[in-house]
Amino acid sequence: MGMATANSGGSEGMELCIFDLRRGQQEGQELDKILFFFPADLPFSTQLSVIGLSEGLITFTRIFSPEAACELIEAERHSHVFYEAEPDIWMVMVVEKSKEAEAIWRIDALREVLKEIHSLFMMFYGPVREMLEKDPSGGLTRAHLYPFVMDYLSDFLVGKKTQLPSFRDCLKEFGTVQMLTVGREAAIEVQSLVRVLESGAGATHCYSLILFQDLLVSTTLSPDDTINLFAYAIQRLSPRALSSGASSWSYLRRGSTPSHVVVGPTFATVSVSDQFHHLPANSPSQDNSYHVKRPLQHNRWSKGKDGFLVTDIWGTETGSLIPSTPTIWLQQTGERMYLCAYQYKSLTLILLVPLSSILNGEQGVSLVKQQVLENASLKILKVEEKLSKGWGGENAYHVSGYRYLLIDDDRNVSRASPPAKVTTLAKESLLAMSKLREEVDLEKSRSKWDNADRDKDLEICIRVKNNAWVIARTTRGKELYMVLERANETLLYASDAFEKFSDRYCGGAFSLD
Amino acid sequence: MSGKASSSQLSVSSSGSGGLSHVYIQHPPLRCNVPRSRGLFYDDGNKLLCSPTSDQVFSWKTAPFDPLVAPTSDLISEGPILSIRYSLDAKIIAIQRTSQEIQFFHRETGQNFCHKCNPESESILGFFWTDCPLCHFVLVKNSGLDLLACDAESKSLQLVKTRKLNVSWYLYTHESRMVLLASGMQCNTFSGFQFSSAGIVCLPKFEMIMAKSEANSKPVLAAEDVYIATIYGRIYCLQIDRVAMLLHSYRFYQDAVVQQGSLPIYSSQIAVSVVDNVLLIHQVDAKVVILYDIFANSRAPISAPLPLLLRGLPRSNSFTSRSTAKDSESPEANISDSESKIYGDDWTFMIPDLACDVSNKLLWKINLDLEAISACSSEVPSVLEFLQHRKLEASKAKQLCLAITHNLILERRPVLMVAKAVEVLMVSYSQALKTGSYLKGIKDTEVNAQFKSLKTNPKVNKEKLSGGAERSSTEVHISSSQSQQLGPANSPLNASVSERQESQLTSPAISPDEMYSFVFAPVEEEMVGDSSYLVAIILEFLRSASSVKKKVKPNINVLAIQLLARNERYAELSLFIINKVLEPSKKVAMQLLESGGQNSQVRKLGLDMLRQLSFHHDYVLQLVQDGYYLEALRYARKHKVVTVRPSLFLEAALASNDSQLLAAVLRFFSDFTPGFKTTSDCHTYNRILYEMNSAVAV
Repeated sequence: MGMATANSGGSEGMELCIFDLRRGQQEGQELDKILFFFPADLPFSTQLSVIGLSEGLITFTRIFSPEAACELIEAERHSHVFYEAEPDIWMVMVVEKSKEAEAIWRIDALREVLKEIHSLFMMFYGPVREMLEKDPSGGLTRAHLYPFVMDYLSDFLVGKKTQLPSFRDCLKEFGTVQMLTVGREAAIEVQSLVRVLESGAGATHCYSLILFQDLLVSTTLSPDDTINLFAYAIQRLSPRALSSGASSWSYLRRGSTPSHVVVGPTFATVSVSDQFHHLPANSPSQDNSYHVKRPLQHNRWSKGKDGFLVTDIWGTETGSLIPSTPTIWLQQTGERMYLCAYQYKSLTLILLVPLSSILNGEQGVSLVKQQVLENASLKILKVEEKLSKGWGGENAYHVSGYRYLLIDDDRNVSRASPPAKVTTLAKESLLAMSKLREEVDLEKSRSKWDNADRDKDLEICIRVKNNAWVIARTTRGKELYMVLERANETLLYASDAFEKFSDRYCGGAFSLD
Repeated sequence: MSGKASSSQLSVSSSGSGGLSHVYIQHPPLRCNVPRSRGLFYDDGNKLLCSPTSDQVFSWKTAPFDPLVAPTSDLISEGPILSIRYSLDAKIIAIQRTSQEIQFFHRETGQNFCHKCNPESESILGFFWTDCPLCHFVLVKNSGLDLLACDAESKSLQLVKTRKLNVSWYLYTHESRMVLLASGMQCNTFSGFQFSSAGIVCLPKFEMIMAKSEANSKPVLAAEDVYIATIYGRIYCLQIDRVAMLLHSYRFYQDAVVQQGSLPIYSSQIAVSVVDNVLLIHQVDAKVVILYDIFANSRAPISAPLPLLLRGLPRSNSFTSRSTAKDSESPEANISDSESKIYGDDWTFMIPDLACDVSNKLLWKINLDLEAISACSSEVPSVLEFLQHRKLEASKAKQLCLAITHNLILERRPVLMVAKAVEVLMVSYSQALKTGSYLKGIKDTEVNAQFKSLKTNPKVNKEKLSGGAERSSTEVHISSSQSQQLGPANSPLNASVSERQESQLTSPAISPDEMYSFVFAPVEEEMVGDSSYLVAIILEFLRSASSVKKKVKPNINVLAIQLLARNERYAELSLFIINKVLEPSKKVAMQLLESGGQNSQVRKLGLDMLRQLSFHHDYVLQLVQDGYYLEALRYARKHKVVTVRPSLFLEAALASNDSQLLAAVLRFFSDFTPGFKTTSDCHTYNRILYEMNSAVAV
């Protein structure tokens, strides 16, 4: 692959690979399967053995379950998490288990990480398979995947370690969006702004996403595209991301650890991505010939004079100094869209305009931007004012006495206690919750196969050693997880507390009995 | 050509020349011709037109205006007549005979008495009756005002009070109850008094500005150059400045007179009338009229100057005169020719909206052509604002507003413009509610019913058209000529406006419900293509309604859901529901359940809404329908839903062919429904269950 790494021995218990089962089927060409491997400095023989094992298991399990092959290998010291991103394109993550190093994982959370890597990749470059078809040598795909995944993983760097979602993150849900609760009047203003935004661009079928702080206010995108764009927005576009240059996935890390990347020279991933910062300029590497854009690079977005966010990631249009407008690919429609992001105070607006509707490139885009400013400026001011007035701050969704996670699977929306509050929980409580969630995950996937269109109701209450109550209830596509520490010892108390929460904050969705 | 002529004959009432004028007078006029008349006098206190002869006075009521009204006559004694005014209770006729004497006649008894003033020092400029509690009668003399009161038998007048000041000339309108007294060298210093029912308000002295043509010239202000105009209940004074060619306006407050800016004039002869609170400035020389709506701050005219139109002149006459037909010299045609002369030399304009052709003894009422006015401007929100202020033809204004809004949406005009238009209507509605004029208008349920019936009218028309009956062709012509004035799109709303409605409705305000029935629902039917535009409009409508704190009926929310679901915009739909942009109601919930056929998440939103609104019965039914039997039972028990029959659950459980489920359901009813064990259902299903189990066992 031609990736030289400055230092070796970077593996801190995690391996991640992406491979294509349709490639390298002849003996001697096995290397062709590998599209990505982390750490890259592992000898090819080791890489091939990881992939070989995975491939073997996939082939074997497909005999019994052609639709859904292997999901997981639990070995004594490692877990292998499988995810089939696209037909025959697999992602496998191998994590080391260790009690001392707090390496206790919830497999579904890890799989969500794989899923997010792939979804985001698709958002920028389209499906991997298409890319492979465009360049059958695989060079193009590898050249894109490597920096992309490395940039992605750098978000999980805490100190020298790549810190994946562990049991401590059991009251968070990957792959969901967090929404701002708004009053009716503000909601109408927001929706009115959405119409103006989308119609003002003049083109048909525009989409928009509106965020306030790090919370979603409005979307007209499909759920999957919303999740992806939301994830990208709060990482790279939100005011917080712009101001602090914060690099970690804020909904994962926010509040728990101050999110600073300490660039350790001894750490492989960092040095690799360090290299990549300079790669296009001075490296004769073969990747250069592919003009790889790296949308996940840090600190490459800034706010322009007109309020629109600008980046040089997408380069400049030929013959001018104006940075090119980023484009993304929508899963639902398969259409390429220009991404125009505008920021006013805490409000971030993202407008997606179809490439096909703008004929004269950057000139057309700047015209659209101008129109948006003309039509929507006043409304933007108004909406910002209304939302700021109603904004309850960082801890707006804290409910005292409770540590909770509420998930709406249908809408891919979650809400949780603020991370700073979750960190006050005892390790035992968190471990128990993590375990409980694994159970629910298992139960959910089981019922999915049994009865696809019926949601199962489920209720589990656990009294943990440290006398905390850990409760899970799922009902008709909604899940509520709750930790009650320092609570009364009776089950009745726990269930009452649960009902009260459900009635108050979930519209009674969980109090059916 | 001949074909055209015959078709135009059908549309007599709605003027052949649609957009050429904004103001019209309707033929026939009130003919006030009596033999040996000694002139025409207008008593604005009683809105009577008087025409005295040597021994009688004929009077015609001009409000409400009816050209065929018969005059009443009263006997008076012979003598010169300078002015006539009836007392406000119409019992006494006061006639100014000379500059010293006024004679009073009792209409019932025929008795009369005289009031005279000091002949050496004073002369009477005029007089008027008032409904002010202090006095009944005010005499304006060159030396000031005399306030007089009638005694009990109305046999004589007692002086109550005098106000001494020099008066060159005066101006009074009963509408404003205000008298302006001009004094000074240039007659441009004014004292004003208002004789309202609350008492007499004395206005501060003020001066009107006058431009000078030369340095030393001192123009004198004439009485004809000053008008008092009452617009939206506010009193203005308008003053013509012939040198500057400006019409200055002043507004009267209790304690101040404030200059309000000036309007340009384009004619040496100017007349002013006020029709339905719209200020009409007749540029008599140019034979055009300019309209101003002095409501907003803007001093811009409503539209370009256009001539006053004579409507409804029998078509055959005007046609023959133009086409030089043989019988154009027929006497009737001649009369019409003189009648059709507009802005003749001796036209007099009377407060507020009458024009009198003195030489021909004709009285015209000036009307606004709301259709023409609204058709001439592309600034739709301001047109709507204008129409919403109209009171005289409230029903027509309302119909026009509805039609304009309807067409605006159908033509897919920019959302911002439509939003502004809708906001105008909502603000006006909320104001009408505040002042009570809206409720007054619709209190009569009959009116409402008539409005409702309008919705079906277009279909009726179509049917008639296909039937080809004679009557139907007339109707179709009228409606088409109206929509021609309104814009290209054919609108069903103005297809018929019955006279009865017009008189009953007092405010053109449009309620949110009417917006739905007459704008959104028909637009939705007629609109083709992408409905997201209509969603955007509905949203703006909801925004306007919420900004004036008015609730909308669920049907508009239901429509929004249908539109969003049709376009599969489920993400937005759920945001609309979750943020209560579309307010929860049972109708909305049911629509969500229906639209949720394609999207389970939408269906769940509907279910959640039912539960949150505590429609327990419906919620349980829906759960059963979705196959959640046990959940439904538990919910029914918790919320004591007894209206759902056990057999419903039992049948569903049986249909699932799951004996465990059937057993659970049976057990539930046996345990929790008293008396269930004795019902036939219980026995039947127990037996079925037994058979099922034994079948399994075998």
